[in-house]
Amino acid sequence: MEPPKIWREKRERYLAIGIQCQDCKSKSFPKTSFCTKCSSSNITEYRLATSGKLLNFTKVTSTSKEMNSYAPFFVGIIELDDGIKVTGQIVDCKFEDLQDEMRVRMVFRVLARNGEEGLIRYGFKFTPE
Amino acid sequence: MNKAGIVSYGSYIPRYRIRIEEIAKIWDEDPNELRSQLQVASKSVLGPDEDVATMAVESARNAINRWKGDPQKIGAIYVGSESHPYAVKPTATIVAAAIDAEKELTAADLEFACKAGTAGMQMCLGLVKSNMISYGLAIGADDSQGRPRDPLEYTAGAGSSAFLIGTERVVAEIEGTYSVTSDMPDFWRREGAIFPSHGVRFTGKPAYFQHTVDASKGLLEELGTKPSDYDFATFHQPNTKFPLTVAKMLGFSSEQVEVSLICKDIGNAYSASSMLGLAQILNHANAGDKIFMTSYGSGAGSDAFSFEVTDEIEEVKTYPYNVDHYIQNSEFIDYGLYARYKGLLR
Amino acid sequence: MSNHRVNIIGYGMTKFGEFYEENSSSLASKALMDSINNSVIEKNEIQAAFFGSFVSSSNSQSSIGVNCINECNMSIPVSRIEAGTASGAAAFHQAYLSLLSGLYDCVAVVGTEKLSDYVRNESIERILGATIDSHWEFEMGATLTSLYAILTKAHMKEFKTTLEQLASVPVKNHKNGVHNPNAQFRREISINRFLNAKRISDPIGRFDPATFCDGSSSVILASSDFIEKHTNLETTIPVLGAGQATDNLALHHRTSLTKLLATEYASKNAFKMADLTHSDINVAEVHDSFPIGEILAIEDIGFFAKGEGGKATENGETEINSNITINPGGGLKARGDPFGATGIAQIVEIVEQLSGRAKERQVDNKNYGLTQNVFGTGAMVYVNIFGESEVKR
Repeated sequence: MEPPKIWREKRERYLAIGIQCQDCKSKSFPKTSFCTKCSSSNITEYRLATSGKLLNFTKVTSTSKEMNSYAPFFVGIIELDDGIKVTGQIVDCKFEDLQDEMRVRMVFRVLARNGEEGLIRYGFKFTPE
Repeated sequence: MNKAGIVSYGSYIPRYRIRIEEIAKIWDEDPNELRSQLQVASKSVLGPDEDVATMAVESARNAINRWKGDPQKIGAIYVGSESHPYAVKPTATIVAAAIDAEKELTAADLEFACKAGTAGMQMCLGLVKSNMISYGLAIGADDSQGRPRDPLEYTAGAGSSAFLIGTERVVAEIEGTYSVTSDMPDFWRREGAIFPSHGVRFTGKPAYFQHTVDASKGLLEELGTKPSDYDFATFHQPNTKFPLTVAKMLGFSSEQVEVSLICKDIGNAYSASSMLGLAQILNHANAGDKIFMTSYGSGAGSDAFSFEVTDEIEEVKTYPYNVDHYIQNSEFIDYGLYARYKGLLR
Repeated sequence: MSNHRVNIIGYGMTKFGEFYEENSSSLASKALMDSINNSVIEKNEIQAAFFGSFVSSSNSQSSIGVNCINECNMSIPVSRIEAGTASGAAAFHQAYLSLLSGLYDCVAVVGTEKLSDYVRNESIERILGATIDSHWEFEMGATLTSLYAILTKAHMKEFKTTLEQLASVPVKNHKNGVHNPNAQFRREISINRFLNAKRISDPIGRFDPATFCDGSSSVILASSDFIEKHTNLETTIPVLGAGQATDNLALHHRTSLTKLLATEYASKNAFKMADLTHSDINVAEVHDSFPIGEILAIEDIGFFAKGEGGKATENGETEINSNITINPGGGLKARGDPFGATGIAQIVEIVEQLSGRAKERQVDNKNYGLTQNVFGTGAMVYVNIFGESEVKR
C-alpha cells in the first residue's frame, strides 16, 4: 500500500467525495479532472449522498492477502439517494439479511491492513439502515 | 461571555457481543459467580474491520450530524485511547479528515488509560474558554484487550464517545471540572505488549475508589454543591459494581446512577466508558437537569465534571443513532468467532 | 476490401497445466518453436514477434518476449502487449495491424503466462483485481469472481436462468476437453458436482470458475503476398474480421448487467468487416472463465436471442455439431486459463477446426469460426472471425 496513493484518495475513500460539473451539473464518482458527461474541466468537489439502496450483492469468500482476514464478507452495487452508483461492502449483517433494494447507509471502516506493520486503508462501507 | 459546555455529542458501540457465560465456559469458571461480582451480562466486541479510528470517526460523525453545524469550524480534535491503531501516526488526523474538519485545527492523540477522553474534554474547554478556538472535539475510544483467562477478559469491551465543546447552542453547560492525579502502578501495558497487566485487588481501593472519591469531593466542595443537587451521576464503569459502590461512598443514590449503567450490556469501554454514560444521561435529560460525572484512568487520575442541561437539549435529544440504538443493534457471537475477531488466532 | 491480406500459416502451443519446472520464457519458446515448425517456414523469415502476457514479470522479468527471442536464437523486434485476461487477443490484434499496415509480411504472436508461481488468498486475487476497477471495485472489496456472481444473479433474475442451465456450460466444456490433448483437465464432470459444490460467491460454486494455470500458445501470421511466394504452406486460414470494443471498467457504471456491450460492439465490427452474420459461423471459442461468461457471449455475439443462452446450452444446442459449436476445445474451463495464452489458444483451436485437424472433436461444417476473448468483466473484448480458406471466398 503506497503512502501517496492512500493520501491522494483520502477524500474519496473517507468522505465519498466525487465531482460535480459546474457547466452541465452532472455528478460523478470517483474524482476526475474532467466532467464524465460533457468533458468540461469546470468542476468542483461533490459529496455523495450517505444512504441509498442495495441493487446487487454477493459474498466474497477469498481475496488478496491484505483483505482476506475479513472474508467472508458481502459486497454489492449501491445506488445512493443522489443516483450515483458505487461498489461497496455491506457489514454488520448476516448474508440472509440482505435483499435487493434494501436501504443501506455509509459507515467508516478498515478496507485493508498491510500486514502487522504497514499502513491501514480506511474507507466507506455500508450497513443496513 | 457565553456559557461554555457540550454543544453536541455522539457515540458508537460495535455490533458484536459475547456473553459472560460463553467466556466462563472456556475456562470452567462459574458464570453466576462472575455475573454477581461484576454485574455484567455481556461485553461489546469489535468487528474485524474496525479499530479505534473507525469507532472514533463514527462517534464523531454522530456528534456532527446531531449538531448539524459546519465541521470546518472545529479548532481542535483530541482522541483519548489506550488502543490507537498506530503507535506513531495520530488517530485524530484520521478523524479530522473523515469528518471534513481539515485543515486549520490543532489535534493530538492522548493516552491516560481509561480517562484520556475526559482529559480531552478539559483541554477543549480550556481552548474554548480562552477564545483560542470556537469548537473542540474530544473523543474517548477504546478497543480494550484482556489476556485470555485474565479477569479482564470478561469485561474488556469496545466503544467510542465524542463530545463537541463550544459556546454556541450549548446543550449542557460545564459548571466546573476538577482533577486529581498521582503516580500509581495499578494497571499498565508496556510499549509493544499486546495485553495489559494489573495489580488485581490493588486496582480497587487505593486506585479507582480513592481517585474517584477525591476528584468528586474536590469538585463538590469547589462548587458548593452536594450529591442531592444532581439529577444524574455517572462514574467510570470497569464493571457495574464499582460505579454503584463509589456513588454510595459519595452519597449519590443508585437511582441517580442507574440510567448511565451501560456496562452491563457492553462491558468496560475504557476511554469511552464514563463518556458513554454521560451521553446516555443526556439522551434522557431535560432542560435544567444537573449531571455529575467523574472518570477514572489507571496510572492514575480522575476528572470530575458538573453540568447543567439547557433548553437546547430538546433539539439534539432525538437524534436516532444514540447509545440505545447501538446497545440494541447487537449480535451475540461464540468464543470461536470472538477469538477470530480479537485476533487471538495466529 | 483487404479482407484476405492476413492469414494464419502456423500454430502451436504447450499443454496447459501446472509446470513447476518451467519458467515463462521456456514455455513461450516451446510454443513459438512449435508454431514455426508447424508452419514449415524458416525461422529467419519471421520479421517481428508480438507477446501477449498479463503477468509477464512472473520470473522477475518484464517484456518477456526478449527472453524468448534470445532463447530461440532470433533477432527481431518484439513487443509485449497487455490487456489483462485478453492479452493474447490484444497481441494478436497488434500483429494483425502490423501486417495490414504493410510493414511486415510475416510475424509471430505468442501468448504466455506462468501462474502456478502465485498463491491463492495472497497475490492471485490482487492480480485479477487489476482486471476490474482496481481502486473502486477491488479495493472496496469486490473480486473478479464476486462481480461475475453479480452478473450471474442479474441474468438469473431477468431471464429466469437456472443453476442447472449455468452448470450445463462447464459440463459440456469438460466433455469437449476430454479430446483436447493440450487441455489441463481431460475428464467429464457430472452436473451434480457443480450443483452440489459450496457457493464461493453466491451463486457461483467452487468448481464453476476456470482455473488459472501455466501455458503458452503461438500463431504465425503472414500476408497474402507471402502466401503466394510460399506454395508449400499446409495452413492458410484467413483472418476475415477483427473487432475490438471497450465498455465502462466498473460494473456500477454500466447501463446493463445482463449483457456485455463490448462483446456486442466488437462482434458487430468483426461481422461487418468479414461481411458475414452470426448465422454464418459454425464454430466459436468464447471466454467461459465463469459459466455466465459463455452464456453472455453466445447471446451478445448473436448466436441466441437475449435470455435464451442458458436454455440453449441446457438443450445441447451448443454441443459439437449442433446448431453452433461452442468451445469444442473445452473452453477456458477444461483447457485451463493461462491468461495471456488463452486468447491465442482459442485461435489455435479454431484454426485446427477450420483446417480439419481437430480429430475426435472435429466439427463437420467448418466454413467460418470465431473467437471472443474478454478482459475482466468485459471492459475490453476482442472478437476475431476466420474462414476455412482463401479459395472459398
